[in-house]
Amino acid sequence: MAWQQSQAEFVKRFTSDGEHCLSTQLSANCHRRYQFMNQNENDRLPPLESVARLSLSAGRLLLETGASGRMVHEAIQDIGLALKCDPTEVMCQHAAVLVMIRRGSLSCMQMTKVGEHGVNFRRAQAVRQVISDLMAEKVDYVKAQTQIERIPVATAAYPVWFVCICTGLACSAFSRLLGADWASFVPILIASTSGQWLRHKLAQNRHNIFVITALVSFVSAMLAGVGTRLCGSTHFSVAMISSTLLLVPGVAILNTQTDVLESKPNLAMARALRILYILVFMCLGLALAQALVIAKL
Amino acid sequence: MNTLLIQIIHQGFFGGVAAAGFAVLFNYRPSLLPLSFGAGLLALATRTAFLESGFTLPIASFFGALAVAIADRLWKDSRPVRGAVLAIVGAIPMVPGGIAAKVLITLFVMLGSDSTAIIAALPEALQGMMTLTFTIAAIGTGLALPSLFQPWTQRTREQEE
Repeated sequence: MAWQQSQAEFVKRFTSDGEHCLSTQLSANCHRRYQFMNQNENDRLPPLESVARLSLSAGRLLLETGASGRMVHEAIQDIGLALKCDPTEVMCQHAAVLVMIRRGSLSCMQMTKVGEHGVNFRRAQAVRQVISDLMAEKVDYVKAQTQIERIPVATAAYPVWFVCICTGLACSAFSRLLGADWASFVPILIASTSGQWLRHKLAQNRHNIFVITALVSFVSAMLAGVGTRLCGSTHFSVAMISSTLLLVPGVAILNTQTDVLESKPNLAMARALRILYILVFMCLGLALAQALVIAKL
Repeated sequence: MNTLLIQIIHQGFFGGVAAAGFAVLFNYRPSLLPLSFGAGLLALATRTAFLESGFTLPIASFFGALAVAIADRLWKDSRPVRGAVLAIVGAIPMVPGGIAAKVLITLFVMLGSDSTAIIAALPEALQGMMTLTFTIAAIGTGLALPSLFQPWTQRTREQEE
């Protein structure tokens, strides 16, 4: 414990100065002087409320950008250590993060809500960079807090059209992996690109994630099914499934596994339940589109 | 032999394209896109090689995930990056989303069928569910395995220093 170490150092120093103070037990005089020094030191260190606020801001942003429970724990521990706190207690849930910061006899417990979980690598890396700078004492806690709050608006991102085309290309590649023919490649590309654009627009308007999933799945599968048939391919079933694979929450699935293996079952179960619902809504849209395409064409 | 090689190259290439596409969706830095392509290529090529050797999908996926996780660990040793950045994006094309969709659609179809049709469709749905569950578990285990040894290796290094 940091405070115990500093207490021991204090005792050692005053013992060497000739004061009659045992190194294993503080005398009353020595203890009072330690408290006085400790109070002065505490005045210089960042307040625990600020440390908790910074920890929660970093933890929330990491969870929202697709980090596993372990990464969130490590980040918050690093912040606590950088700001001269004792090892921090962290409870990482799907919809909230709780931290308990301690420094000597002082403690502070705070909680924050977590928004929609997504994946954004550059934002997660930016959070890690701020924490690294804080540990290296390149920034103080006030500047670190400001930098973390600016990350959502300041982090660079690809243009929407580019993201949509790349997602479409990924789904077309999936179709090849699943054994679809070349004739269905372009229709899937167009369908998935349109689906990603629709998802982006609906997410911008803050619609419910499950409604978005069902709608995007239906539109993508419909376009892929019709397009594939018009192009003369017989693999329209595989094509329709491939065009909706952009909705499969792959990172969340892998994070669930990681959280289970790293002893965070609550977070893992919450993630798993959400994944299941997303897949159900995705398949509702897909099944409806398949029924329409098979019946009408 | 030629057919096997062509199949591995084909699956590896499109695995790489899928991984790079998802890397853009996940907002990876431009400098990481070629590496993401490589990670997807390695994962899918390994999985295909094991599948063609007669292993089941879960076992082949486990080795694919393990290969990309080890590659990610080696890459990270030279860079200050936290998290299985390349391993995750490399393993994404192996996530059996297609099987999940097929299983759920089979279950939906079973809801509106008579008992004879349900009994006929049940083995397929059950097999799909088992494959899906074991494949996801295998990928997760393969990815996590190198990082589970990380605290031990870190401690050893610190002691050596």
